[in-house]
Amino acid sequence: MRKKIIYAILVLSVLPFFTLRTFGQEVTKITPYVTLQYLKNSESKRILQTTLTYSKNRMEIPLQGMEISLFTGTEKKETIAHVVTDNKGIAKFEITGDTKLISDKSGAWTFTSEYNGNDSIDAGKSEIVIKDVNLEMSLTLVDTIKTITVKATVMENGKEKPAAGEVVKILVPRMFSNLLISELTLDDSGSATAEFPSDLPGNKEGNLTVLAKFEENPVFGNVEKSETLKWGLTTDYSVPKSHRALWTKTAPKWMIYTLSVLLTGVWGHYLFALISLIRININAKRKAREEYKI
Amino acid sequence: MKDEAENVSDGSSRRNFLKKVGVGVGAISVTGIVGSSLLKGNEAKAKSGKLVKLLSPEGKLVEVDQDDIKSAKGIQPADNETVEQHKLEARAGLPNRKFAMVIDLARCKNARKCVEACQEGHLLPKDHEWMRLYLLQDDSTTSKYWFPRPCFHCDKPMCVSVCPVGATYKRADGIVLIDNQRCIGCKFCMTGCPFSARVFNWKDPEVKVPEGHVYDPETNIPATEGTVGKCVFCADKLRLGELPRCVSACPMGVIYFGDILEDTVTNGNETERFSKLMTDRAGYRYREELGTLPSVYYLPPTQRMFPVESGLEDTDKSIKDRYKKVGPR
Amino acid sequence: MEADRKLITDLTPEIEKTSIKWYITFFIFLAFFAVGIYGLYQQIDKGHIVTGMRDNVVWGFYIVNFIFFMGLSYSGALISGVLHLFHTGWRKPIIRMAELITIISLIIGPFFIFFCIGRLDRLHFLFLYPRIQSPITWDVIAIITDLVGCFLYLYLSFIEDFAILRDYPDLKVAPWKKKLYKTLSLGFTGTEQQHKILSNARMVMAAMVIAIAIIVYSVLAWIFGVTLQPGWHSTIFGPYFVIAAVFSGTGLLIILMWIFRKIYHLEEYITQRHFVNVGVLLTVIAAFYGYFTFSDYLTKWYGSIKMDSILIDKLFTDYYSLFIFANYIGILLPCIIIAFPKFRTIPNITIAAIIAVTALLVNRYIIVIPTLETPFLPIQDTRPDWITYSPTWVEWSLTLAGVSVFAMLFMLVSKIAPIISISEMQEKDKNEIMK
Repeated sequence: MRKKIIYAILVLSVLPFFTLRTFGQEVTKITPYVTLQYLKNSESKRILQTTLTYSKNRMEIPLQGMEISLFTGTEKKETIAHVVTDNKGIAKFEITGDTKLISDKSGAWTFTSEYNGNDSIDAGKSEIVIKDVNLEMSLTLVDTIKTITVKATVMENGKEKPAAGEVVKILVPRMFSNLLISELTLDDSGSATAEFPSDLPGNKEGNLTVLAKFEENPVFGNVEKSETLKWGLTTDYSVPKSHRALWTKTAPKWMIYTLSVLLTGVWGHYLFALISLIRININAKRKAREEYKI
Repeated sequence: MKDEAENVSDGSSRRNFLKKVGVGVGAISVTGIVGSSLLKGNEAKAKSGKLVKLLSPEGKLVEVDQDDIKSAKGIQPADNETVEQHKLEARAGLPNRKFAMVIDLARCKNARKCVEACQEGHLLPKDHEWMRLYLLQDDSTTSKYWFPRPCFHCDKPMCVSVCPVGATYKRADGIVLIDNQRCIGCKFCMTGCPFSARVFNWKDPEVKVPEGHVYDPETNIPATEGTVGKCVFCADKLRLGELPRCVSACPMGVIYFGDILEDTVTNGNETERFSKLMTDRAGYRYREELGTLPSVYYLPPTQRMFPVESGLEDTDKSIKDRYKKVGPR
Repeated sequence: MEADRKLITDLTPEIEKTSIKWYITFFIFLAFFAVGIYGLYQQIDKGHIVTGMRDNVVWGFYIVNFIFFMGLSYSGALISGVLHLFHTGWRKPIIRMAELITIISLIIGPFFIFFCIGRLDRLHFLFLYPRIQSPITWDVIAIITDLVGCFLYLYLSFIEDFAILRDYPDLKVAPWKKKLYKTLSLGFTGTEQQHKILSNARMVMAAMVIAIAIIVYSVLAWIFGVTLQPGWHSTIFGPYFVIAAVFSGTGLLIILMWIFRKIYHLEEYITQRHFVNVGVLLTVIAAFYGYFTFSDYLTKWYGSIKMDSILIDKLFTDYYSLFIFANYIGILLPCIIIAFPKFRTIPNITIAAIIAVTALLVNRYIIVIPTLETPFLPIQDTRPDWITYSPTWVEWSLTLAGVSVFAMLFMLVSKIAPIISISEMQEKDKNEIMK
């Protein structure tokens, strides 16, 4: 017993030190992961997309509602915009004609995405260098074969040059992701051709979108060119509204008929029995009246 | 009888619904950014500039612009009309879609991320799992394999056929859902389902539902005592054009998902043509002979990425206990 | 209408006075009932977690009881209907009992479904949002139809007795009972025309009650039969259930005959002849029932589809003793006892009946539970203690409560109405009936 008390006192006296130490310790900050992407879509709209995430148990977790600053230029940086991340940790900014961009001698732009950090999160940044590429795509029927031709040129030192040796992906956008049709390597003239499959379903009218894309190209970023046309098979999917089945809202007809016939038969007989009861009652009353008269 | 599908026009009222209800489950929801920022990139400048400290869903202190926050208190409860309208939409399904899932058994190693994501995403209580992982062995002469089993969303769903009150229903896009405000808990669907896909809420699930949350059959949150629950193919996510939670959570890319009318399925990283996957890998459906026509396809466990035993290596004892009675059958 | 004073005193032993024995027995049953109510309160308060049912065995003892009680009911209807329709002479002292079994178990049966349902508060949804594709909807319609039909049938057979009790001059009963008899007898005085109308109506209803009993119990069987589950998905289930129901009902009839004979000293009215006749009926039905059972399991075993094999394996291992008792002893022993004239004593026949009824209850159990423990996908990835089923005290208490209510309702009816039809007994020469 004594031993126990001494032990307890010992523990209790040491405990405050431990607690103090824990409080004194600095809370470890999150190291965020910043990415920056350049997107140029089919309408030549340019978008800077930056993400802010961190890694926990090998899972990527977005940081929401964070302000990120976007800059252009290398030595002398100029602020383009401040954006706030959404619930997926993504923030986007569209580059318009009003946006002042600083290009280097070769005509490339440098973009920087910077997060300043706060009490619990460290600062972080990401930088990309982008050359403006011009991607062209033409879709033609060659002897009934659906043929895709792509051509890409880059402005370098004020001159237009073919983007030889680069890879362009031909994709078809689907509900959740893009379906890869083929991967083309551009030849010396900056062009390439591919055959489009003949058995790919489109929508109800057979329309689908063909998308040519530089995907995460280290020099060009993400650059897209797309066109929607009737190159797919028509898919007609409709469930008739008055569809009768076991698992729909309305029952098969035979079921309704059988049930009605059975129920009418049975309840008809019940009615007969009920009427019989009433007849007995009426008969009894009549008899009573007759007796009364006599 | 009037078909409920007739009353449904398009997805527009869903958007209203979301606006009024506040976006889903997160403790804080930030408006003005989701989706629309692509066109209004400069919006951030127009914010109040006042930063507010908030606890993020991960339990970290974060700073958010005041204008971006709809505090939990500020969420307006959706009016009845919107809720009813959404319920009709949840009964009709997405127009011109037919969803299918392809599960590659060669890649599964019982990592159980799909189960975790599903439990978290649908606020499911313990012992009430929608996604299950079986360790199957067809015969003592054949090999064991891991077998993830969501709801099969059959095209001839026995569970829907036997429901006496229409609580569970088949949508045009192939999804089978349960309205747990309609369910009377007779459990007939559970005996009707040959794949044990349905689970019952034997007691009050004690789910902490975010304030202002309105019940939606597409998520089935919150689970209700005395009713049946099952995998919903994350119908709420599909409506937003996102993949189901189990698909995104799987680190091995086991589960492919897509619209079969587009002949395309994806596991988040790889996108494949559904028909090609079926041809190349000899895809099949579990117990085709029962004739329920499942929407979930399996790719046989050929040339596996992991030995089957690895599925039990790093797991807790409580998980190992779940696979004690494994043998040929 | 007049009747023999002795007949009335003998056949309505509880109408005029209430014995202390009656009170004691009633309160014992009431105590059981109270325990059941407490169990039900626990279940509503804490959820179905207090039962032994879990995600695989979703239907447990409640459904077993439901089928069992409904079976008793339909068989009561079948027996009384058939005996009435074929003018079987010896039926008269026992037909009332069969009718009462019908009505009382028909009232109790559905309550077990209510106990099994997760959301009792939404029960009215069955009528608000009915889907006629569901066998449960069929069953709801069927049970309501059956309840109305059986009440009508029972009432028709009671009218004459009510008229007798109404007209009997020195019946020492409370005024409200007199008034009740007067109202319920509908002024029946026994004229030729009234007799004709009544006997016509009874004939029609007897035929109807047989038809309904067959259809309705088949519908119940189809709740199991339409699913794909191994052991349930069988075309034989409809007729098999009907035969099984008649088997249990005949057994129960014998048991009740014995009890009533003992308690109310009806030795004069219910004789060995009745026991032997109903006993022979039981044997014939047992033979049919055994034949159905054998043919169902034989085809499953011989065909050996994988799931069927697993199920039969389970029946012969985990459920071995129950299976042997239900499907061998429970069928063969009653047959043997009754088949030999030497053994045909009243106690022996009653024992045979008790064996038959318990065996059938066990048979229902091994139809429902082993199948649910044999799903197509093996039971895995679930809490290990959730795999096998065994009923908890809540389920037992509610089962006993059901049995108590059965007894209590019988006791209450005996306070108001004759337990053996007076009118039928006095109608013809007593000797002819007793022959």
